[in-house]
Amino acid sequence: MADELPGSPKTIWQDQTLEVPAMTMERLRQKAREVHAKTRRELFGNTAAALIAVAISGFGILRGPGGWLRLAFVLALAWALAGQFFLHRGMWSVPSPADAGLTTGLEFYRLEIKRRRNLFGRVLRWSFGPVVLSIGALILVLTGFAQSRGISITAVLPFCIAFAVWIIAALVLRARAWRELRRELEELDTAGRAG
Amino acid sequence: MEAITTVPASQEDLYRDAAEKYGASLERLAAAYEADPEKRRDLSQDIHFQLWRSFQRYNARCSLRTWVYRVAHHVAVSYVMRQSRVFSTLVSLEELEMLPDGVDGQLAANRRMNLQRLSALIQKLKPLDRQVIVCYLEDMDAASIAEITGLSPANVAMRIHRIKNVLAKRFHEGGSYGG
Repeated sequence: MADELPGSPKTIWQDQTLEVPAMTMERLRQKAREVHAKTRRELFGNTAAALIAVAISGFGILRGPGGWLRLAFVLALAWALAGQFFLHRGMWSVPSPADAGLTTGLEFYRLEIKRRRNLFGRVLRWSFGPVVLSIGALILVLTGFAQSRGISITAVLPFCIAFAVWIIAALVLRARAWRELRRELEELDTAGRAG
Repeated sequence: MEAITTVPASQEDLYRDAAEKYGASLERLAAAYEADPEKRRDLSQDIHFQLWRSFQRYNARCSLRTWVYRVAHHVAVSYVMRQSRVFSTLVSLEELEMLPDGVDGQLAANRRMNLQRLSALIQKLKPLDRQVIVCYLEDMDAASIAEITGLSPANVAMRIHRIKNVLAKRFHEGGSYGG
């Protein structure tokens, strides 16, 4: 077969010299500990947005004006806390590669894309949403505070613009990533239908 | 296709057996997903770790080789998916056939350069096509690749045909590939 000639891609590929790591049982167990530590760090990282929303909302409830703005802070606080539950609920039921030895590459890849797409939606709903609401309410509080002291509204304008740009940029990036995932899923469905 | 053989008893035995038989192939598989040597070492260790974990559930319903390659590709796919903007940078086999090569024949005659070009070409591909090309380069037949990927043998054969076209175009033009 022409493929097996010296210098053919198969020969080039199979002849490459790569260092094979010595994975002793002790190293594997150490790796397990590293993976657990990393999972804990990721979990802590995922709560950062909720902590921001809780801190701002707590401040707004305690120090902010009453009325509908306080209601907005209460809502943001409740949303952030509920978000932690809904955001992490599906996280632990996801099969890891090690649990999917009987799953084919096509199916695993499809599940990975679906999981990622669902995660995007959950993050927007349960993490991004409460942060936006709490910061938005805080901006209104600061604006009211500035007005009551005769400070020009332009003083908070840069903050408002930065906030708006951040929201739009985050939404645009998420929407683009979501579209890419949908396109990839459609391609996989086509490949799956082809057999 | 590889026959399903009697399995050794323990998770550790299975892992040792797999690492001994497929260790070098797994390194090449990691190289197909990550060019940076440091990151590749991490990916490779992840593959070995997940493989070791996976043998808690291995029940010989598929061959050891199929199991090893499936788990290894799953780890690598998860790794690729964690990278940002991944889909805008990767192409399908059809798109790859259209892309210009951009390397002259003199350079392509060099074996090391050819490996770099081959690796770069593989790393451009979307995960499913990458699984097919890696298995093809590991000398697997269409039925074995179909079992690992979940595509039909006919679909795999069609993709292999495309892969051969791309490789022939890129390596034959460089004067070093006879297929």
